[in-house]
Amino acid sequence: MLLLARGPKAWPRFSLLKPLIFPWTLGNKTVCERVQHLSVQGPAETGKQGLPRGPRLRTRLLITALFGAGLGGAWLAARADKERQRQRRRTEALRQAAVGQGDFSLLDHHGQTRCKADFRGQWVLMYFGFTHCPDICPDELEKLVQVVQQLEAQPGLHPVQPVFVTVDPARDDVAAMARYVRDFHPRLLGLTGSAEQVAQASRSYRVYYSAGPKDEDQDYIVDHSIAIYLLNPDGLFTDYYGRGRSAEQIADSVRQHMAAFQSILT
Amino acid sequence: MAAPSMKERQVCWGARDDYWRCLEESAEDASRCQQLRKSFESSCPQQWIKYFDKRRDYLKFKEKFEAGQFQPSKSPANS
Repeated sequence: MLLLARGPKAWPRFSLLKPLIFPWTLGNKTVCERVQHLSVQGPAETGKQGLPRGPRLRTRLLITALFGAGLGGAWLAARADKERQRQRRRTEALRQAAVGQGDFSLLDHHGQTRCKADFRGQWVLMYFGFTHCPDICPDELEKLVQVVQQLEAQPGLHPVQPVFVTVDPARDDVAAMARYVRDFHPRLLGLTGSAEQVAQASRSYRVYYSAGPKDEDQDYIVDHSIAIYLLNPDGLFTDYYGRGRSAEQIADSVRQHMAAFQSILT
Repeated sequence: MAAPSMKERQVCWGARDDYWRCLEESAEDASRCQQLRKSFESSCPQQWIKYFDKRRDYLKFKEKFEAGQFQPSKSPANS
């Protein structure tokens, strides 16, 4: 009874062990046989046997490298795309600024209405002042004209349009501007307008001006900020030059801007 | 009143420079430059005369200041 009872319990155990032991011994044998086999074959044969492993490693390395390169490439492409998008947004913003920024509507010294878009395609040097100015405005305009002449003398350069905008529209009407600008340069363009138009144009260029008290002759001096502005052919504010800059320095700077210029409006 | 023409400006600036040179040479004694002062006043708009007088004061001060000779006045509390 006991044996019988144990029997069926022990047997399945044995049968479970059997397949475990059997392959082990068999495996051992095969491994040994293989080793013997290998040692008999010699180094040349080992190389042959090792070969299937070599390409596999190389393939793996190759795949890894390709995968890595692919990832790197994708990252670079994504980065380039991001940069292009950034550049596009910047160009778009600049384009909007080119049209809107620093816009004005004024009368030139021939009485014609002029706005910023009329100067598209031209480099513009712009100075704000007034015709009754004792010394600074004529000096600065003289300097501006020297810059224009220096650039004119250089062949192959885009001509620069000199512009003088009054900050004293009460006295500087079209006729006064015409009289004033002809003393400086044949192409110097005088711009004037209503008090509002001049105020708007000056605000666009951050030009401060304030008329001083009138004397017995009803004469007065207008205090104002002094700077020469450079606009590029797209109409974008590009640089400005204070009193301390010489005509040569300004001409050099304009030349550099011209060399670096790329239109964003084409 | 029309703004001075370029020629008028140059005449005015010339008279101003002559007067200023006289002041320089006579150690700021204006009484010795009266003739040139008259010429200066007749060559420039009145407003410009006032402006140039102030401008010279400023330039003199600047010269002194840059030479390190300017002594700021002591505040009233200390003097």
